[in-house]
Amino acid sequence: MLNGIGAAASRHSVFARACVAVVGVGASLVTHQALASYEVMAVTNGGTIDGSVTLTGAAPGQAAIKVSKNQDYCGQTIPDPAYTVDSSGGLANVIVYLKDITKGKAAPAEPLALVNTKCMFSPRVQGAMVSQQVKISSDDTVLHNTHPQNAETNATIFNVALPFKGFSVTKPLPTMPMMIKVKCDAHEWMHAWIMELDHPYYATTSADGHFTIKDVPPGTYTLAVWHEVAGEKSAPVVVAAGQTVKPKITLAAK
Amino acid sequence: MFYRVGQLIPVFAGLLFAAGSATAAGTGSVKTGKLVYERYCLSCHGAEGNGQGEAAEYMAVKPRDYRQGTYKWRTTPSGSLPLDSDLEHTLLNGLHGTYMPTWRALDQRSRRDVISYIKTFSPRFATEKPQDPIVIPPDPGYSDASVARGTAVYKKYNCSQCHGPGGQGDGPSAHELKDDWGNAIVPYDLTKGHVKCGDQSTDIYRVFMTGLAGTPMPTFADSMSSADAWDLVHFIQSLSPGYAKNMMAAAADRKTGATQ
Ligand code: HEC
Ligand code: HEC
Repeated sequence: MLNGIGAAASRHSVFARACVAVVGVGASLVTHQALASYEVMAVTNGGTIDGSVTLTGAAPGQAAIKVSKNQDYCGQTIPDPAYTVDSSGGLANVIVYLKDITKGKAAPAEPLALVNTKCMFSPRVQGAMVSQQVKISSDDTVLHNTHPQNAETNATIFNVALPFKGFSVTKPLPTMPMMIKVKCDAHEWMHAWIMELDHPYYATTSADGHFTIKDVPPGTYTLAVWHEVAGEKSAPVVVAAGQTVKPKITLAAK
Repeated sequence: MFYRVGQLIPVFAGLLFAAGSATAAGTGSVKTGKLVYERYCLSCHGAEGNGQGEAAEYMAVKPRDYRQGTYKWRTTPSGSLPLDSDLEHTLLNGLHGTYMPTWRALDQRSRRDVISYIKTFSPRFATEKPQDPIVIPPDPGYSDASVARGTAVYKKYNCSQCHGPGGQGDGPSAHELKDDWGNAIVPYDLTKGHVKCGDQSTDIYRVFMTGLAGTPMPTFADSMSSADAWDLVHFIQSLSPGYAKNMMAAAADRKTGATQ
């Protein structure tokens, strides 16, 4: 579905400076075909995508999460982080990524971090390379378990207990690109998302909706965004050697 | 409910022998395995291996859906495929307290054939290798001192979050748990005197050192020493005299050759 929309958009126009097209938003999760393997090469004079994602329309009022267990530690309620929007509409926790890139910079060397803190996962969403290591840790005195599943099939990837404060463990992510939904069975409101891609061109928007993707080999790509509630959208983006493109992307509140 | 079909079907095992082609030692024949499956497993696990056989509808604990390659009872770490020997262990023991019977009455070769066949339902077995099994050091032996230490381990590792302070499956997180297939699941009542799979101390050990894939039951292998793990096994065994009784009965079974 998303692929169809992306392809239709790229037939129309090519954006030299800014990618402003607003095309279809889908609620379904991203599904990736297994692509031909990604090739690492030196990127000299690559371009930068330095953009922002804003939410249009009012974010629906969000009831606070009602804490149903371990209230003495976790508290009675926790603010729902699904829509984290700043005063000018900047939307946090959006994954922004290129869809059709097969060559470029090396994979990140560092493991991802996923912290269990105050009975929530931090960060809420992040991108990852296939097979990347993820360091899972807990700041909490209550037991958590970190249980990533393939978001599409629900199949368990692994399920590791974090029985006490200060414990950490590092595990590899799957070898195939996929959307991963992480849960803590012990605290059913706890969720995180990891979008696993077979290339390193992705970023997550910060508190003001800003993102930067660096060292992009010059070319035309499809720039896609994903938000857990607002859904998905994509548009073509042209990256010129040594230049910065500043796409301003909007997602409609749902 | 729980029934054992074990003793009823040795005749068919002989029949199946004739149908199969010879296979390398240790691995079964998919072709013969399909026949075994259709005869003994299909009614519960379904023709497509999706766990939705005719009989499944009425079961609270559903037969395994084989298509994800997700198996609960393994000696391999969390996230890994099981070894063939893990699946064989399950077939020999059955899953206590569920409709999954023991398949001791099948000869070993039919068991291996059917294992080869059920693996074909998941593409994972073609592309992934199971990881190395965990090392289970010998049981240092049940003692009051070990049980006392195990009581503290149970507390320290917060098993009570799901299983409850007394192990009865009534912890604060016991409710609203779901498995990978969207079915409701409850933390096991550890005071029952047996676990679902196996009657040996090692069967209890591997549960929390590998986790039960597809369920909320996580692995503690990364945080727990094997000394703590054995004390924890003894603590669990102290919760019911049933554990010792079942362990002895199983040992007697093996002596009389029921296990082959
Ligand atoms: C009467 C119904 C029934 C029949 C017949 C049956 N099973 Fe099962 N089986 C189950 C149920 C129910 C479960 C799930 C139990 C659970 O998860 O607690 C199961 C689970 C399993 C598992 C998963 C173990 C794990 O580690 O997750 C395997 C393997 C299995 N069965 C193999 C077989 C084979 C092979 C046959 C035929 C020789 C067979 N079963 C026949 C009901 C049945
Ligand atoms: C997040 C919740 C959770 C935590 C924490 C947890 N368990 Fe479990 N446990 C479960 C569930 C759910 C099952 C039932 C799985 C099934 O029946 O398929 C289970 C099953 C078991 C079983 C029975 C396995 C069998 O073969 O029948 C044992 C033994 C066990 N847990 C021990 C422990 C111990 C020891 C700890 C602490 C070190 C622990 N559990 C922590 C949820 C949990």
